[in-house]
Amino acid sequence: MNPSPAGCWHCGETLPAQAPLARVAGAEHAVCCHGCRAAAEWIDQLGLGDYYRLRSAPAQRAPDAAESHRTAVAWARPELARHAVRDLGGGRRESMLLVEGVRCTACVWLIERALSAVPGVASVQVNAGARRARLVWDESQCSLPAILEAFARAGYRAAPLDAAALDDARKRESRAALKRLIVAGFGAMQAMMYASALYLGAFDGMDTSTRDVFRWLGLLVATPVVVYAARPFFSGAVRTLKARRLGMDVPVALAIALIFGASVVEAFVGGAEVYFDSVSMFVFFLLVGRYLEMRARHRAGDLSDALARLTPVFADRYRADGTLERVGAVELQPGDRVHVAEGSAVPADGVLAGTRCRVDEALLSGESAPVEKRRGDELVAGSLLVEGPAELAVRRVGGDTVIAGIIALVTRAQTERPRLAEAGERAAAGFVARVLVLAVITAIGWSLVDPARAFTATLAVLVVSCPCAFALAVPAALTRSLAVLARQGVLVVRSDAIERLAGATHVVFDKTGTLTDPELALGEIALPPAAGDAAARRTEALALAGTLARGSRHPVALAIHRATDGIATASVDALRAEAGGGLSGRINGRRLRLGHARFALRQEHIDPALEDAVVLAGDEGPIATFHLVERLRADAADTIASLQAQGLDIAIASGDAAPKVAAAARALGILRWHARQRPADKLARLAELRAGGARVIAVGDGINDAPVLAGADVAVALASGAELAQASSDVVLSGQRLSALPEARRIARETLAILRQNQRWALVYNLSVVPLGALGFIPPWLAAIGMSASSLGVVLNAMRVGRSRPPAHPAPAIRALETPA
Amino acid sequence: MNILVIMIPLSILLLVGAGVAFFWAVDHDQFDDMDTPGLLPLLDDEPRRPPERQE
Repeated sequence: MNPSPAGCWHCGETLPAQAPLARVAGAEHAVCCHGCRAAAEWIDQLGLGDYYRLRSAPAQRAPDAAESHRTAVAWARPELARHAVRDLGGGRRESMLLVEGVRCTACVWLIERALSAVPGVASVQVNAGARRARLVWDESQCSLPAILEAFARAGYRAAPLDAAALDDARKRESRAALKRLIVAGFGAMQAMMYASALYLGAFDGMDTSTRDVFRWLGLLVATPVVVYAARPFFSGAVRTLKARRLGMDVPVALAIALIFGASVVEAFVGGAEVYFDSVSMFVFFLLVGRYLEMRARHRAGDLSDALARLTPVFADRYRADGTLERVGAVELQPGDRVHVAEGSAVPADGVLAGTRCRVDEALLSGESAPVEKRRGDELVAGSLLVEGPAELAVRRVGGDTVIAGIIALVTRAQTERPRLAEAGERAAAGFVARVLVLAVITAIGWSLVDPARAFTATLAVLVVSCPCAFALAVPAALTRSLAVLARQGVLVVRSDAIERLAGATHVVFDKTGTLTDPELALGEIALPPAAGDAAARRTEALALAGTLARGSRHPVALAIHRATDGIATASVDALRAEAGGGLSGRINGRRLRLGHARFALRQEHIDPALEDAVVLAGDEGPIATFHLVERLRADAADTIASLQAQGLDIAIASGDAAPKVAAAARALGILRWHARQRPADKLARLAELRAGGARVIAVGDGINDAPVLAGADVAVALASGAELAQASSDVVLSGQRLSALPEARRIARETLAILRQNQRWALVYNLSVVPLGALGFIPPWLAAIGMSASSLGVVLNAMRVGRSRPPAHPAPAIRALETPA
Repeated sequence: MNILVIMIPLSILLLVGAGVAFFWAVDHDQFDDMDTPGLLPLLDDEPRRPPERQE
């Protein structure tokens, strides 16, 4: 999927009127900027032009060369490099970089090839999923700044991560889990093979020596499974016992240890039966469930990456003589004065020393509109300077900043989250305790009646009643529902979220970016009464506004720019941005202004209806008035209706102003809404609801939602939203589909129903066979078959999750419901 | 049944061999990235010379 001919050859963005041309593979292609031209030509010169053929998404717009050079040079400062570079000895250095703009596997290929071409680079490994690159280089021939510049030349922004990221805990965890899984799989297969020989031999009259050989073989393959692969269950059991609780790991570990131990004893004394196959299969099934759960957890990202992206690494500090020096944000001290360029993030908390600027504080309030700041107002680290530049007097740095406080709030809310003790876990644990008592009674009883049969009967009780069916009842259904949900774009990060999703009573939505599209859209366009074709005048007004708006990063300008995509635009001269007003420029000799009515019309007193509108005007008077709207997501209304049909109580808690929240609530049929909510207010509202016995699903996307998400019973984040929000959530909806939520809840309820059915089935089975086993009516081989069959029944039943078709669903109506922005 | 004396040790040897190979693969990054390698066979091994420019 290459960008359309109308877009930049490299990044797909709209082309300016006089687009620079890049020579790639002998042909000329129009690109949007000189950064993209340099990137495209450099890629071609390295012989890596295949990238354009292989990629599945256009590249990120190439970073500005001068800017990336200054950043790269700043990394040469030893104060900064010390954190990010590890010395491997012999002049070799290693660093982990977070690479922005990795969109597809072709990017990975390009980075690996392009960076390998840099002299002195020994190895490059790029992981597209984690957006990380690991580099090893020879310090005598190469340096960190040179590597960063090579990234910038190829069109990617790279930021070195803290050296601790090199010891990736997640990677180690996933490797260990994979190894355990394969050991259990191999062991189970072999043990089954030897066991089938034993079962057949039992009917054909296998002689004792051959039988013993197969038993010893079974022991040989089952030992690594129990000793190595099943270790997480044993360590988990020890951990929960130390905490004086009976978790799921306790019965599982007990069952494994008892069956394996008894089988070893049987093999030694030449007893009736061994169960090496059952124990290996049991471990394997459980490990598959755990592995899938871990994969889902890892994919949802972690806090450290989110943090690395939020706060800038560098600041431009004023020296005593008024010149700027680029330093690391960690080096800033309260009292420093820093320069923040337009479009970049504020490096530390402080007060504005310049006259005025506009910042996007979505981080704090979730509000889409930028906030105007005047001299002396507070700016917070991590917020984006939309209109600047600004001079900032630093007040608080590092852990004292507001953003650090939000992150601390998230971490605390995560640890304070009440862990609902799972009913199934308690049932299985209780069951194991009862079976153990029963086994002891059986052993005592039989040793009084017929000591020769005591061991066989006790073992039969343990095996036939093996809590396998119980232990599998929960993970089998959960694993299946995780897979079904993942296929529908619902990523469940914590598997106990399914139970809580099914039991929820309330849903609290964030508005901006969750119920509404994250970006503003152009709504109605009003033209002053005049002669001429209205449609042609509309198009002309749009083209003029789009031309003026191009290049500005103001959200309003971006909305107009998006709406005018594809309409031919002329070039603009004398383009100027006036802070708090708008843009002015000359197009084909005509002087035009676009912005707030006061600015565009040059009038002090304007029609109050125009207060929120964007006006395009020339010297002769107004040309057009644009109204911007916040559009509800196409599936928001259906989602709310389905959730209400499921009997859930729905509320909106938004950081936005009351009229906008009220309009959205009205359009969606939501009765309860709260406006102007700060993260702490939302958290308090949640606590209040939960104190009243409600179980709450919180849905959000912004960073400001993170503490709320962490404090809810079930936290649902949209995949398009902030990383931080995803990191503190239980469920991530990918693909921008809000409508996946009611569907996910339906599947969760179905899962829970099947899970209960499984548990009941396991209970009925156990109640009917355990007494028979205790009375000595069940030979151990039948006990083994019974146990396998009951486990299989549980697994097959779990496979029914997601099979039933959802109830007939109305076709998603295109809703034109809009709220004024 | 004498064939078992050969077949069973052989099967265990193969099993251990497969296990060792798998552990080696896991430790040598073979399972860390499941997307990129699928693309590699489609690529030229040697960097392609930029075609002559036609002036």
